[in-house]
Amino acid sequence: MFRAVALRAAGVLALLALWWAVAAAHLWPPVFVPSPGAVWHQLVQTSTVHDGQRGYAGHLLAEHLAASLRRILLGSLYGVAGGVALGLLIGLVPTVRALLGPLVTFVRTLPPLAYFSLLIIWFGIDETPKTVLLLVAALPPVAVATADAVRGVHADYLHAARSLGAPRWRVPLSVVLPSALPEVMTGVRVAVGVAYTTVVAAETVNGVPGIGGMIRDAQRYNQSDVVVLGLLVIGASGLLIDAALQLAERRLAPWRGRS
Amino acid sequence: MKLRPLPALAALTALGLALTGCASGTGAAAGDSAPNADGTPKALRIGYQAIPNGDLIVKDQRWLEQALPHTKITWSRFESGGDVNTAMVAGGLDIGLAGSSPVTRGLSAPLNIKYKVPWIFDVIGDNEALVARGATTIAALKGKKIAAPFSSTSHYSLLAALQGAGLTESDVTLVDLEPPDIQAAWARGDIDAAYVWTPVLGRLRTTGKVLITSRELAAKGKVTADLAVVRTAFADKYPKALTTWLQQQDRAVKLVRADKAAASAAVGRQLNLPPAEAARQIDELVLLDARQQQGARYLGTAQAPGGLAADLHGAAEFLTAQHKIPAVPQLSVFQQGLAAKELGDAFPR
Repeated sequence: MFRAVALRAAGVLALLALWWAVAAAHLWPPVFVPSPGAVWHQLVQTSTVHDGQRGYAGHLLAEHLAASLRRILLGSLYGVAGGVALGLLIGLVPTVRALLGPLVTFVRTLPPLAYFSLLIIWFGIDETPKTVLLLVAALPPVAVATADAVRGVHADYLHAARSLGAPRWRVPLSVVLPSALPEVMTGVRVAVGVAYTTVVAAETVNGVPGIGGMIRDAQRYNQSDVVVLGLLVIGASGLLIDAALQLAERRLAPWRGRS
Repeated sequence: MKLRPLPALAALTALGLALTGCASGTGAAAGDSAPNADGTPKALRIGYQAIPNGDLIVKDQRWLEQALPHTKITWSRFESGGDVNTAMVAGGLDIGLAGSSPVTRGLSAPLNIKYKVPWIFDVIGDNEALVARGATTIAALKGKKIAAPFSSTSHYSLLAALQGAGLTESDVTLVDLEPPDIQAAWARGDIDAAYVWTPVLGRLRTTGKVLITSRELAAKGKVTADLAVVRTAFADKYPKALTTWLQQQDRAVKLVRADKAAASAAVGRQLNLPPAEAARQIDELVLLDARQQQGARYLGTAQAPGGLAADLHGAAEFLTAQHKIPAVPQLSVFQQGLAAKELGDAFPR
């Protein structure tokens, strides 16, 4: 345990040292490799009100992050709900599988930026197109994982439930879904990860406040230190969210890997 | 997961090698290679934008290729001056086109790009304008939602227009949108006004009212322009090539004046527009020939740098107020940023 923690800390420190060394060596101009000090300075600047300017582009860093997390949460929630429902249908009903299976795969391979301009025309420039984009991005991984897990449920479970007198309508929710839960949870983790990477695309249009909007704005003014800060914030919060989901997975499906 | 130390170390070393490899790659930029036997550069890398000015005529007519037959000329299209700045910092371009706003940023700290302005492609006129629905004066926009592509010349002009009407940024809701998104948002009724350029401006004008154009703002002293930037190292090493380049640009402006049909056909070919529409778009810009650019209002002469330096200085004040650059540089920084001497060498009086 201690060894694992120490190794991780050493890894982070080594990367930091490498970054510092590269920046200090001035191999490239600061626009290419901003120094850790400059990024730290931006962290302070974007988190405080200074000379009448509130954070970055009128919002504090925490507000940018909160706006993005809210979009991710909403998009993932809708995406997971839709994905589980769709996955159950695809896994249980062969006709639906034949009808929708290829469609889900098709949507899954579309890059978000390719169809985002359509969402803008359909849903405007405010929150709706962003939520819809994240939904479309988050739904397929959950649907695919659920469908596969549902089809992999042991036939003995179904037979046992039926012979113990369970009515046909109860089987999907009481037997199939719990049995498929570990794989579904993996799908959810993948989906939230996809939503997280997609939020930057979603915030290319009217994305301030939002961490992706902040990065994009900084990029246009060649403020690389703010860009790096945004990336670090996204990475760190992504790690935290994934840890929370792993915890939820262990709580919800403690039998994982023991059956 | 356990990391074995040896492979991890190997990976780090590989990363380090890759990084230093990149570094030497950046240093040996293609444009810095030895010149041809006749003193012309081996390569000339140009960053252009899809703006209906003389640059597209030079490109279409292949005048540069004919004037510099031993030079490999690469034309790369850019969508914004910010990207041109990035390419300049990376040493990937010799001559580029950027708006006055990005050039101001490039000449100021922290970027401090080593480039100069040898030519004004065009002064922005009626091709950028503020269009509104349900408002007939700029002051009536108070509390409304206005879109503009941030960091562009339009953004600068919009804030100058608001300021002129006694409004501040906080009196309105500003939305950062690219032109195609502005068109979509306008069609849906999501925005009340927009400061944008053609061709989207044309679509908005059919259902909205033009409140002010960049030509009118320029008359009030808020000039925006599309500028050429040349890498200082390139200008110093190949003054003759720069002279040739400047002469072709002047030739293009003169072609627009002498033979509009030929000029608009060339621009139309480059922008996939019918010649009549190209001609209309060219007319919305203010094109200046070399003599006019040498005037005191624009680039001036080596002894007396022109008024463009003051325009860039004004833009720097605006960017500082926007917290986009840390401080306003001295006026002399922008005066030195004008390649008036090079222009004078190319067109001696």
